Amino acid sequence: MVNTATVDLAPLDEILKEFNGEKGAVIPILQRVQDAYGYLPKEVLSAISKRTGIPLSRLYGVATFYAQFHLTRRGCHLIKICDGTACHVRGATKLVKSLEEALQLSPGGSDPDYKYSLEIVYCLGSCGLAPIVVVDDQVYGQTNPESLIERLEKLE
Amino acid sequence: MSTTSEIRLMIDGKAVLAKPGETVLQAARRAGIAIPVLCEHPALPPSGACRICLVEIENLRALQPACTFLVSEGLVIQTQSPRVRSARKFTLEMLLSDHPLECMTCEAAGECSLQDLAYEYGVTGNRFRGKQHHYPIDTSNPFIIVDRNKCILCGLCVRACQHINGVEAISVFHRGFNAYIGFGADGGMQDSLCEFCGSCVAVCPTAALWPKMSIGQGRPWQVKKVDTICSYCGVGCKITLHVKDNRIIRVEGAWDGPANHGWTCVKGHFGYDYVHHPDRLTKPRVRRYLLEGQAKTRQGSAWEWVETDWETALNIVARRLAEVWSQSGPDSIGILASAKCLNEENYLMNKLARQVIGTNNIDHCARLCHSSTVAGLAISFGSGAMSNSIDDVTEQAQAFFVIGSNTTEQHPVIGMRLRQAVRQRGARLIVADPRRIDLCDFAEIHLQHKAGTDIALLNGLMYIILEKGWEDKEFIATRTEGFEDFKAAVMHYSPEKVSAITGVPMEQLYQAAEIMAASKPMAALWAMGITQHVTGVQNVMALANLQMLLGNMGKPGGGANPLRGQNNVQGACDMGGLPNVYPAYQPVTSEEARIKFARAWGLDERPIGDENRRGLSPRAGMTVTEMIPSILENKIRALCILGENPIMSDADTNHVRRCLESADFLVLLEIFPSETSLYVDVLLPGVSFAEKSGTFTNTERRVQLVHKAIEPPGEARPDWWIITEIARRLIPLLAQHGRAIDLDAPWAKWDYTDTAQILNEINALAPSYAGITRQRLERGETLQWPCPSPDHPGTPILHVQKFTRGLGKFVPVDYLPPAELPDDDYPLIMSTGRVLYHWHGGEMSRRSQGLLAIYPEPRIEISQEDAEKIGLNGSKRLRVSSRRGAIEAEAMVTDRVPPGMVYANFHFPQASANVLTSGAALDPISKIPEFKVCAVKIEKA
Repeated sequence: MVNTATVDLAPLDEILKEFNGEKGAVIPILQRVQDAYGYLPKEVLSAISKRTGIPLSRLYGVATFYAQFHLTRRGCHLIKICDGTACHVRGATKLVKSLEEALQLSPGGSDPDYKYSLEIVYCLGSCGLAPIVVVDDQVYGQTNPESLIERLEKLE
Repeated sequence: MSTTSEIRLMIDGKAVLAKPGETVLQAARRAGIAIPVLCEHPALPPSGACRICLVEIENLRALQPACTFLVSEGLVIQTQSPRVRSARKFTLEMLLSDHPLECMTCEAAGECSLQDLAYEYGVTGNRFRGKQHHYPIDTSNPFIIVDRNKCILCGLCVRACQHINGVEAISVFHRGFNAYIGFGADGGMQDSLCEFCGSCVAVCPTAALWPKMSIGQGRPWQVKKVDTICSYCGVGCKITLHVKDNRIIRVEGAWDGPANHGWTCVKGHFGYDYVHHPDRLTKPRVRRYLLEGQAKTRQGSAWEWVETDWETALNIVARRLAEVWSQSGPDSIGILASAKCLNEENYLMNKLARQVIGTNNIDHCARLCHSSTVAGLAISFGSGAMSNSIDDVTEQAQAFFVIGSNTTEQHPVIGMRLRQAVRQRGARLIVADPRRIDLCDFAEIHLQHKAGTDIALLNGLMYIILEKGWEDKEFIATRTEGFEDFKAAVMHYSPEKVSAITGVPMEQLYQAAEIMAASKPMAALWAMGITQHVTGVQNVMALANLQMLLGNMGKPGGGANPLRGQNNVQGACDMGGLPNVYPAYQPVTSEEARIKFARAWGLDERPIGDENRRGLSPRAGMTVTEMIPSILENKIRALCILGENPIMSDADTNHVRRCLESADFLVLLEIFPSETSLYVDVLLPGVSFAEKSGTFTNTERRVQLVHKAIEPPGEARPDWWIITEIARRLIPLLAQHGRAIDLDAPWAKWDYTDTAQILNEINALAPSYAGITRQRLERGETLQWPCPSPDHPGTPILHVQKFTRGLGKFVPVDYLPPAELPDDDYPLIMSTGRVLYHWHGGEMSRRSQGLLAIYPEPRIEISQEDAEKIGLNGSKRLRVSSRRGAIEAEAMVTDRVPPGMVYANFHFPQASANVLTSGAALDPISKIPEFKVCAVKIEKA
C-alpha cells in the first residue's frame, strides 16, 4: 500500500502524463521526478511503479546504480567540490573543511536547513581552474573558502 | 519451413553440429561437452555475468563467454585449455575472496555450483585478501532465508523473478563492490510484490537464497528424492520431495514436469509441512455409543471419541451402512468422493456406490466448482473438460480472455505463464472480473463488470463481433450448428444495453471485441467466477459460443479452458464421482452402459428395483447439494465421505450443520480432524499424497503418477485400502438382504493389493483411459485423455477436426440477474473465493507453518468508500451479515473491490464466507450454488 498522505503526488502525475506509457523511459522519468521533488522519495517510487507498471525493484535498482539519483532529501543547492589531483593540491580539502565549519555541511550530506547539499567529485576536467567548485550549474574556478562562503550565502 | 542448415564447429577436437542461433554453450551441452557455468540456466536468457564459461576460440584474441557467444561455421573452440582454466581459476579466486568459507555448515554444500568449481579448480579462497562484506542474514519472511554474504551476484534470481514469475520483485541494487540483491524498495521479500514461488531459490547456485524450513534438516546426499505431483491445485505441477528419516525436508519443482517445467508456487514449494502436522489422525475413531451398542446420541459421553482398531471400526461402518440399506434402501445412502484423492480411490468410491450399494448418489466438490462447466461444455461440444493444454495455451495464444479466474492466485503456475506470455512475447490479455485482481496489472484492458452479469457482457461482445463482421464464417459454416437462433438472441444485446447492465463503458466493449478479432488464436480461460452462479451452465455456453464464433476451437493457442480447482478434480469426475455417469462419462441412464457395468461387476443386467435387488440404478443420483439438504427429509440417512469438508466448502454453513446433525450415520475418511468431523460417527485415518502411489489427472486431462515417499503416521492407511475393506465387509451383509454379487465376474472382486491393479480395471472399463496404463506411466509418459488404446499418444487438444458431439452447438443464452440482489436491508454484494496462500477449506494450508504465518487470519476486502461510510478508520474489524448468518474478520481496505462489493474467503472456520452464502440458489442444471453473489450488510465490529 502506498502511503500517499505524506507526499503530494500531483507533480508526479504531471510528469507521467508527459511520458504517457512510453517504454524505456525509466531514467528520464526518475530525472524529472528528482527535479520536481529534489530527491526520490520511496513513496514516489512506489507511486511511479503503481502508475506505470514498472516494477519497484527495477526503479530502485536504477536509482541506486546511478550517482545522479538520491534517495534522501537534498538541499536546494547542490555543491560539488572537486578533489581530483590538481584541486586537492590547490586546497580542495580546505574548502570542504570551511563548509563544515561555516554551514555544518559535510560531504554526502545537507545542512540542517536543507539549503545546501555537498558532494565530492573527482576531476571535472578543468584542472587549470583548480580548485573548482560547481554550485548547481555555475562553475567557480580558483576559489577559496572566504569567497565560496560569501557566494553561497548570497544564494536564495 | 525451409530445412535448417546446420553449422559445423570443433569443440575440444570433436566435430559438433549446431543450429543457427545457438550459443556455444548450448551446442557443447548437446554434444555432451560440459562447460562450467554459474550464472546460466537453460530456461533463462543468458547474461554473461560470471565469466566462468569462458572458452578459447581460435583467431579471437580474448576469451569468450560460451553462454552468449553464438555459433558460426568453422569455429574451433577449446573449453579446457590451460589459458581457459587459468582464467576460470582467477575468477573463482576473486569470487571466493568475498565469500564465507563455511561449507561445513552451509546448506548448499553438496549441491553448490561454486563449491564444486572451487573443488575442481583447487581454489581455497585465500589467494586474495581484501575487504569483505558482512551482511546481516535476512530471516524476516517465513519461507526464504536471504544470506547476501553467499551471493555471487550471478543475477539468476533476478532473471527468474522477471522471466518466470513475472512480478520482478528482485533486482540488483547499488553498484560495483557494494552491489547486492534486494527486493521492492530494499525492504524484506514480504514487503515487495514477491509471491514466494521459490523460482529464485530454485536457480540460486549457492545458499544465498535457501528454504527456511529446510535449514539444518539434512544434507543433499542424505536424502531420498521422490518425484510426485503437487497436492494443491489442478495445474498438476511435478515436484520432487526430499525425504530424510521419513520426513519431507524440502520440495523442489521437477524440471521434466510437463505442466510446470520445474517451476512451482508458494504452496507447492513451501506448503508441504501439513503432512507432518501433529493433528494427523493416526488411529480409527468411533463414537462411544457405537461401541456400547446404544442408540445414536450426540450428547454427553456417548458422543465422545474412542480410538479403536481397524477391525472394530470397519465392522461398525459396514454394519451401520447395511442396517440403513436394509431399512431404507440403497438410495438412502450417499457417497462423497474426493477431488484430493487418487483416480484409483475415486474409481473405488464409484464402485462402492454403484456396485456394492446400488445407488448413483455419488458426488464430490466438483459440484461446487466446475459442474456448470462439465454440463455446459457437454451441451455445446460434447465433452466437458479443458480443451487445450497448458503449454499450447500459454505459448501459442496471441490473446487471452481471462474471465472469472484469479489465475495468479488460484492456478499460480499458469498465472505466471500468462504473465510471461504478455511480457515476453507480447500476447494480449483481456481480464473480465468484478474485482481488480493482480492479473489486471498485466492486462491491456480490464472489463470490470458487475458480479453476475457475465452473459450480458459476453453477448454484448459477440454483438459487436457480429455487427462488425468479425466472426469466423467458415468455421461457423463447417463446424457448428444453431448459429441463426443464437445470432437472433445475441442481437438483443446492443452495446448501450450491455453497458447499462454490466457497468462496463461502451468503448471498452468495442476495444475488447477488437482485440478478440485481431489476435487469433485467443484462448479463453475461466474458473469459479463463471461457474458459481445460478446461470453457471449458461455462462459456460456463452463462452463456448464466443470461441466458436471466433473460430478458436480445436487450435493450439485457442480453446475453451476451464481451470480445474483441486489437484484431482478432473480425475474424480473422470472416475465416475458424479451422480449421472459411470467412469469416463458413460451415462447411468444408458441401458448399454448399465449392462456393461452390470456384467463387469457381477450384477443383474436388469435395473435395480423392488423385485430385483441385484441390479444397477438406472436413474441419475443426487448431487451433493441435494444429498445434504435431503438428510432433513430423511431421504438420505447415511453418508460415506472421502476427504471432503462440507462444513467449510458448501454454501450456507449453518444449514449444512443442521443437516449433518440429523444424519443417522456419517463416516469420514480424513487426514485431520476437520470441521466436518465434529458431526461424524466414525473417523478413519487416511493418508496424504506423500504416503501413497497412484495417479492424479490435472486440469489439462493429463494423467500423472503420484509416488509414495514416506510411511504414513501411526495406523493411518491409504484410502483405497480403507474403501476396499469397507466394501469387502459390506458385500456379504448386503447379500443377506438379496444383493448377491457374482464375484467371478471379470471386475467384481475387491482383492486389490495395490493401485496398479485398480488402474488396470479402469483401463478396461473407462474407454478414454483405456491406453493410460501403469506400464506407460512408469516409462515416463504423461498421457492426456482420451487415450483409447495402449498405442494411442493421448490427446493434447480436443475438438480438432470435429467436436466430440459432431458439430459444435451454438446455444442461445439470455442474461438473468443473480438470485439474491442487494436491497435496503442487505445493500452490498458479497463475492467469495480463495487467496494465494491458502487452499480451499484451509485444512492443509492452515497446518502449514509458513502459509499460516504469511496469511494468519481471515480478511475481508472492502472498498475505501464503503469503509468510510461505516466509519471503519481506527477499528479494522468488520462484521458482515447475510440472511443466513454473520461473520467478523479483519477488513482489508483496497481498490481490488469496487464500492458496493465485499469479498471474503472460506479458508478459516472462525469467519468463513460460506456462513453467508446461499445454498438455496442453485443453477437448475448443474445444481451449483451461487457462491459468487449474495446480498450482505456491513458494520463496524
